[in-house]
Amino acid sequence: MAAPRQTALERQYSLLGLMLIAPTVLVFCAVIVYPLVSAIYLSLFSVFTPTLQGGWVGLENYRSLLGSGEFWVSLRNNLVWTAGTLALQVLFGVGMALVLHQNLWFRSLARSLILFPYFVSTVVAVLVWKWVFNDLYGILNHVMMAAGIIDWPVDYLGTMPNAMISIILVGAWKYFPFVVIAVLARLQTIPEPLYEAARIDGAGPVARFFDITLPQLREVLVVIVLLRAIWDFKEFDLIYLMTGGGPVIATQTLPLLVYKEAFALNRMGMAAAYAVVMMAIMLVFMVLYIRRTRERRP
Amino acid sequence: MSLTRSSSGGITRRGALKGLAATSALAALPIGARAQSATTLRWWSPQAAPAQLEAYQAQIASFEALHPGIKVVFEKTSDEGYAPQLAAAFASGDVPDVVTHLPSFSVQTYYANGLIEPFDEVIEAIGVDNYYPGANEVFRTPDGKHCATGIGNSAANALWVRRDLMADAGIGKIPETWDELRAACQAMQKGGIFGAPLPYGRNGMTSLIFIGFIHQAGGQVFTPDLQIALDSEATRNALEFYRSMRELCPPGATNYSWGESLTAFVSGATATGIYTGRVLVNVRDQNPGLADQITCATYPRIATDVAPWTFNDFASVFIPAQSKNKDAAKLFAAYIFDPPGYIKQLHAAPGHVLPVLRTIGENPAYLDNDIIRKYSAEVELMSAAAAGGYNLGYESAAHQSNAKAGEIIAAHPIADMVQRVVLNGDSMDAAIGDAVKAIDAIMKA
Repeated sequence: MAAPRQTALERQYSLLGLMLIAPTVLVFCAVIVYPLVSAIYLSLFSVFTPTLQGGWVGLENYRSLLGSGEFWVSLRNNLVWTAGTLALQVLFGVGMALVLHQNLWFRSLARSLILFPYFVSTVVAVLVWKWVFNDLYGILNHVMMAAGIIDWPVDYLGTMPNAMISIILVGAWKYFPFVVIAVLARLQTIPEPLYEAARIDGAGPVARFFDITLPQLREVLVVIVLLRAIWDFKEFDLIYLMTGGGPVIATQTLPLLVYKEAFALNRMGMAAAYAVVMMAIMLVFMVLYIRRTRERRP
Repeated sequence: MSLTRSSSGGITRRGALKGLAATSALAALPIGARAQSATTLRWWSPQAAPAQLEAYQAQIASFEALHPGIKVVFEKTSDEGYAPQLAAAFASGDVPDVVTHLPSFSVQTYYANGLIEPFDEVIEAIGVDNYYPGANEVFRTPDGKHCATGIGNSAANALWVRRDLMADAGIGKIPETWDELRAACQAMQKGGIFGAPLPYGRNGMTSLIFIGFIHQAGGQVFTPDLQIALDSEATRNALEFYRSMRELCPPGATNYSWGESLTAFVSGATATGIYTGRVLVNVRDQNPGLADQITCATYPRIATDVAPWTFNDFASVFIPAQSKNKDAAKLFAAYIFDPPGYIKQLHAAPGHVLPVLRTIGENPAYLDNDIIRKYSAEVELMSAAAAGGYNLGYESAAHQSNAKAGEIIAAHPIADMVQRVVLNGDSMDAAIGDAVKAIDAIMKA
């Protein structure tokens, strides 16, 4: 049976619909599809960054990067940094949110101040922390030596594992307020009768936390972990400014490697190949995030 | 009330129409023609200490007064950051019109890739005879032209010492060999003061300074025809010495670059220093108590029969080929060397940036500076050392110009080699082998 023919009015509506959606599609193509396709296309060339001149090399850049030890070391560093800083952010964030959820007399002030690390510019934060860690003038070494904990200044940023631990701690300090905000918002919506019922049943603070608070926070924590994992995985400025990826390449993550390839070695094609691989890894987090947020919809 | 007003009252209808016609004509002018009437030059430099900025602004003001149609805007970059910033600028086509104080080896890299305008016209305008002999050799290109000119020399690896600490430690003369230097640093390292602020960071300073150590051991990174010569006994000796100095440097030297190394000596945290003449002005301004105690020499070498090797980055002036205002840029580039402004610029960091023009070096106005007078012996020593200085792009007078030197420094294979041997305890053979491979890949790219 032939499909019923559209009336003139229906065709006009269809056209109108296409016209209405066209700007969104165009913007999407301009800001998402075009850069994505450009990056993949660029990764198939050997390109000298300053002149953007180069030739087709096909998959050679990918073969080269997968065969290079530096890629795997950087990926490992990336995972260590992401997992370490994320775990501390969640730990500090949930802990601080629980404290700020209590009826404290300075609660309003504390809730404002807690956001400070998140809002302060990364450059400023790194400068402050580099002074704190400084071997000659840093307060951390000074206090520890005065307290007799150490006899000699500790090199926090130039040796391993100190350098990785230091950037993980600074990363956790910088980004844990995001967790505080999100968790605090959720804490305020947990029905109070749940806690009252638990108290009547004889549940102590620890039991109430594990049996009521944590299950109620589960959804928001999953979203926080996925979002922060994506953001931490592609962190560049904090690590670059703190250690530059050193010592040797012990704190060099994939974004730093992309930067080095593009602007130190002037190999834009290879940098694009690293970026595409990085994007593929991040895609895993993004798919998980999208699936998770879809599941929450009624 | 009438639309036509008297001339005494201001605007007439005819006048208004003329004005409208003039405005329309102006709007109809091509963009290029309008831009010509208000050319803006962008000037980039990594040398931008407050006193230098003040000198630049004075030069800009006097240039703009002479050329009312040209405006100059200064934009700061940095020693560690200029390479990526310029790479991005070249790639986007949004380039500065004049760039100063970049090392000669980077400029040669850009010229080899067609990114730099030949500079001979500007050198002619400045006056070829005004330069010290051979001052522009480092900027000579394979096609017989010049890619830039020098704006200043520097002796970047001068050894700075404190006479008071030397006297306390019973050291009679400034070290000339590595053994003497190590012994002196060991004797002076006490009371919270470290021996030396050598850089062990993963950065350009470590690479550039360590290349000096290779030469001070009698070695070289490349042969004169640019074959890699890093895998040598001299490199091993240099690494061995550099490793032995680690315990005489502050713990944080593993992250030191130029600023940290300078500050360590100027603040009194180390007994010796390794830097240009900027030490002089910083000591005067930040730690005047040391002003009468400091002096400098060429950096020690493995033995006295090896000639000293001074690292001079040959700070340059060049014009990117993509500049849309080349004529105005050339005019301004030549004006930078106009004596009053150039001397003010040199006085902003006396002893740090040394003149490339003989006529300036002998100019009484240049010599009339409290630091240059007080430290005349040091300034003279650094001037002579810098004039005979070299860098990775120009390792000796016999070497071909190395257009890949900038990329080698930016990619850190030499700093990585130092870090692996000194910090990680890796075998020298493996670290040198990997550095050779990395440099070879850059040379062949």
